[in-house]
Amino acid sequence: MFEPAPKQNLDKLQLAALVGLMIIGAAFVFSATMVNESAAVLPWYDQTWVRQIVWYVLGLGGAAAVCLVDYHTLARWSFVVYWAMIICLVAVLIPHIGSMRYGARRWIDLAVFQFQPSEFAKLAFIMAGANFLSRPVDELRRPDVFWKAMGLMLLPFMLIMKEPDLGSALVLLPTGLVMMLVAGTPRAYLFKLVGIVGLLAAIFVVDIVFLPARFQLPMQEYQRNRLLNYFGRNYTDFAPPGATPADLQRLRQRQLDDAYNVRQALISVGSGGLMGKGWRQGTQNALGYLPRAVAHNDFIFSVIAEEEGFVGSVIILALYAVVLFTGLRIAGQARDRLGKLVAVGVVTLIFSHVFINIGMNIRIMPVTGVPLPLLSYGGSSVLCSLIAVGLMQNIHIHRRGY
Amino acid sequence: MLVVDQLKKNEPQLRLVAVVLAAGLFILFIGLWWVQVVSVHVYQSHLETQSYRTVRLPAVRGKILDREGRVLAENRPSYNLSIYLNDLSDRFKAEYKRIRPVKVTAKVAPFWEFWNRGKTWQTNRVRLSSSQIDAVEWQSRLDVVQQVVADVSQKLEQPLKVDAADFKRHYMTRLALPFPVLKDMTPEQLARFEENTTNGVGAELDLQSVRRYPLGTMASHLLGYLRRDDRSYEGEDSSFSYRLPDYRGVLGIEYAYDNELRGRAGAESVLVNNLGYRQSENIWTQPEPGQNVVLTLDLDLQQVVENSLQSQSSVRIARERTGGVLNAAVVVMDVRNGSVLAMASSPAYDPNDFADGISQAKWNQIQQMTAEKNRATAENYAPGSIFKPIVGLAALETGLNPNAYVDNPGYIYVGRRHITDLASPGKYNFRKAIMDSSNTYFITVGLRAGIENILRLAEKFHFGERCSIPTRQETDGNLPTFSRVQQGWTDGDTANVCIGQGEVAVTPLQMAVAYSAIANGGTVFWPRFVLRIESPDPMQSATATNLNTGLVRDRLGVSPRNLRVLRDAMLAETEDPGGTGGLARVPGLHICGKTGTAEIMDTHNRKIGRTTWFASFAPYENPRYAVVVMVENGTFGGPTCGPIAHDIYQEILRKETGGAANAVASTTN
Repeated sequence: MFEPAPKQNLDKLQLAALVGLMIIGAAFVFSATMVNESAAVLPWYDQTWVRQIVWYVLGLGGAAAVCLVDYHTLARWSFVVYWAMIICLVAVLIPHIGSMRYGARRWIDLAVFQFQPSEFAKLAFIMAGANFLSRPVDELRRPDVFWKAMGLMLLPFMLIMKEPDLGSALVLLPTGLVMMLVAGTPRAYLFKLVGIVGLLAAIFVVDIVFLPARFQLPMQEYQRNRLLNYFGRNYTDFAPPGATPADLQRLRQRQLDDAYNVRQALISVGSGGLMGKGWRQGTQNALGYLPRAVAHNDFIFSVIAEEEGFVGSVIILALYAVVLFTGLRIAGQARDRLGKLVAVGVVTLIFSHVFINIGMNIRIMPVTGVPLPLLSYGGSSVLCSLIAVGLMQNIHIHRRGY
Repeated sequence: MLVVDQLKKNEPQLRLVAVVLAAGLFILFIGLWWVQVVSVHVYQSHLETQSYRTVRLPAVRGKILDREGRVLAENRPSYNLSIYLNDLSDRFKAEYKRIRPVKVTAKVAPFWEFWNRGKTWQTNRVRLSSSQIDAVEWQSRLDVVQQVVADVSQKLEQPLKVDAADFKRHYMTRLALPFPVLKDMTPEQLARFEENTTNGVGAELDLQSVRRYPLGTMASHLLGYLRRDDRSYEGEDSSFSYRLPDYRGVLGIEYAYDNELRGRAGAESVLVNNLGYRQSENIWTQPEPGQNVVLTLDLDLQQVVENSLQSQSSVRIARERTGGVLNAAVVVMDVRNGSVLAMASSPAYDPNDFADGISQAKWNQIQQMTAEKNRATAENYAPGSIFKPIVGLAALETGLNPNAYVDNPGYIYVGRRHITDLASPGKYNFRKAIMDSSNTYFITVGLRAGIENILRLAEKFHFGERCSIPTRQETDGNLPTFSRVQQGWTDGDTANVCIGQGEVAVTPLQMAVAYSAIANGGTVFWPRFVLRIESPDPMQSATATNLNTGLVRDRLGVSPRNLRVLRDAMLAETEDPGGTGGLARVPGLHICGKTGTAEIMDTHNRKIGRTTWFASFAPYENPRYAVVVMVENGTFGGPTCGPIAHDIYQEILRKETGGAANAVASTTN
């Protein structure tokens, strides 16, 4: 498949799981989008599921390309790529360059392709971070190195937050943290870091969710509302003191509207039951209860869960588990710390996406626009996921010889 | 295995990562198990409540037939032209886009596009407030619907209009159902529509079943009428989102046998999308059609009765006296089992008028004529002389010699009250007293027998009690009780009872039951209107429920000899040249009858009207039919009611001989 490398050097188990995920992804992007006649009359090359397959092919090509070059060579270029991505992340914030969709500037319109820099920034961060952290363990004890590593992580974090794209920004944190842990950063630093981040997050949540409106931190309205919904708070508790009953009613209606996607996703997943309703038999999506705009990307999991039931959900989980644990095995077998860190970074990144996305479908995580790797429709996401997997395979190819 | 691989390696950090990953996936696993397996019913019911609408489908109402299976009430298909709004949702959207206000502005190319100098024009969306958007949406929907209706109206060559308020109400409350634009289409409209319906216009035909009474006012009091009522009945699912028009019997047989006639409503589920438009439908339970009710009524006889009431010249005066509307009632009963063969009340209403909600004007007219009242069962009348056979029978039972004469001077004093006798002065025995309806004779023998004996017999006839007919159209009548006659009762009161006046009041139906008892040898039956209830499916006629025939209510326990005396006298009433009932006579049929003319007094004892009667049964030899005719404000029982009875007996004779001839024919073949 990836030609120049001998076949036995690829991790075939992981590849099999990936192929499984891609087949499922294409099938359910089909199911999620081919629900009405207007979708079916599009020419075949404009249909979403065909485009998804094209992205898979391009992604596999990218992965193969990544495998061709030893990851050490790639790592040498990582800072160039990293800074190029930072420039893209800044550019995307500038009107006329970054295009606005759903109230966020996340895309650069390249005519044929809506390029989403935040996806690629995650990869660039993994490469640059791994490169930086693969220095001798002694150096990691120095505070300046620690803070540099922190800066490396926080720079894209802040820029992505600014778009705003809370979900993409948040997945950088566990990825960076795990890489630092595996690299051998002293525990004291990490505990402090986790403690401080945890404390800040706790203060943040308490402030948003429990304090009255005038004590709250400035924040995007919809983001606060998502948090309020997630923690099961009523908007009306935060109404200004002089609110009329009509105002309160409007707030209640707004809350219903805001919670709509999550509620419908939950109904989709829950009504799937043990065995599901069968491929293309789900009603939530076909009848438009699950909004068309998100059914095939952020909420693709609820389409799968409705149509294939608990069994299907578990199969998805199992496939991801295979990818993740083979990834960890690759990390364990890596020739050097660079390879190990890259593999661990990719594994953590994929896991974070999976956990946040599926968690959001069953309401154990708040709604953030995080795609489900390889299943959600989206060029940038598919390309990055496959290139990330290509990196892991690269490390596997150049693993320690036993 | 994979995890174990990792944990065996001596790399604590990787091991930690593996544990965290495993824990995370396990959390997702548990979460999914909780949502998809444990709480599956919760979410499935959520799914149902948000995406299914249930529609109550009324069953086809059963027919009402006469004893020969001829139709008195049936259903006719009514076609409504309806617009399926779900087919139009795309057009709504397009129209909305078209009429939404836009702003045309100049577009200036960004500075780096140096090759693209100069302005281009672009249309921008105008920001609208939510109420403006709402208004534009309504306008676009209304536009589209009006367009469709205009198309249809062109095809039908008939102007149709959409009421904006109507449409809005339908859209808000019954979105998943088609929107009716033309109700109850004529065959011509149907043909036009079917002819031109090659290109889909979003309009389709809806079938609805509407009650029809093909004979109009015929037997309308007995049939009753329906009222629109979509509610669920007891024991039926009650949580429907929508209900299609259904009806419930209010009066008459339609009311009494509503349970059997209406069948069982079915349920249809309509799958709707997130905007509430219908996607597909699915019938959960088919409605079970109602059963047919077969009446004891004989349509031929009923027709003769009603025709006679309308056209018989003998009631002309009565009609004039009540302002051109004849107030009358007729009951024809089978004396052998109490089956009602014909029952008419005049004036009558047309039950078809009630099928789709009666207009106020028509209702006022009905109210003004008291046409909704079934005079045969629901009004008290003084029986007058037709009560005399009961008094006479009581006297015979207490030892009156029918051949003994009573002297009639042309009047009688009871106490100090003077009662005139229209029968000419002379000597009267039982037979002559019945024939000439002598007041003096019956007051004399009645006083001799005593009021208790009269009441004892009258109670056996069950005067003053309801016949428990199920049509919700009944009154008790009146009969003094034994305790009533213990206190403050005078001979004058008894004299009144003896001539069917004063505290006695009856309904024509009660009289028919009483005369049937006299005719059949003393058996008082419960009157009966329904022969059987049968399945609407002719293949299943075996499953019909036959209602009990001849339910005996009481037996008179009088001697057959006395009954024969009475019957002989009543025969003479019509057959003898001197009898008052001569006008009822039909050659070839021996009729026993009694005429009656009761005075109606107001509270100051002034005459304000009269009730004329002819009560009878035939044939004398082997009685089968009892015929009671009552006309308000006639001249006298004989001349007013006799000819109507004559018409009825003629038809009875025709049926009897025709039937006999057929029977002979069938036996010889």
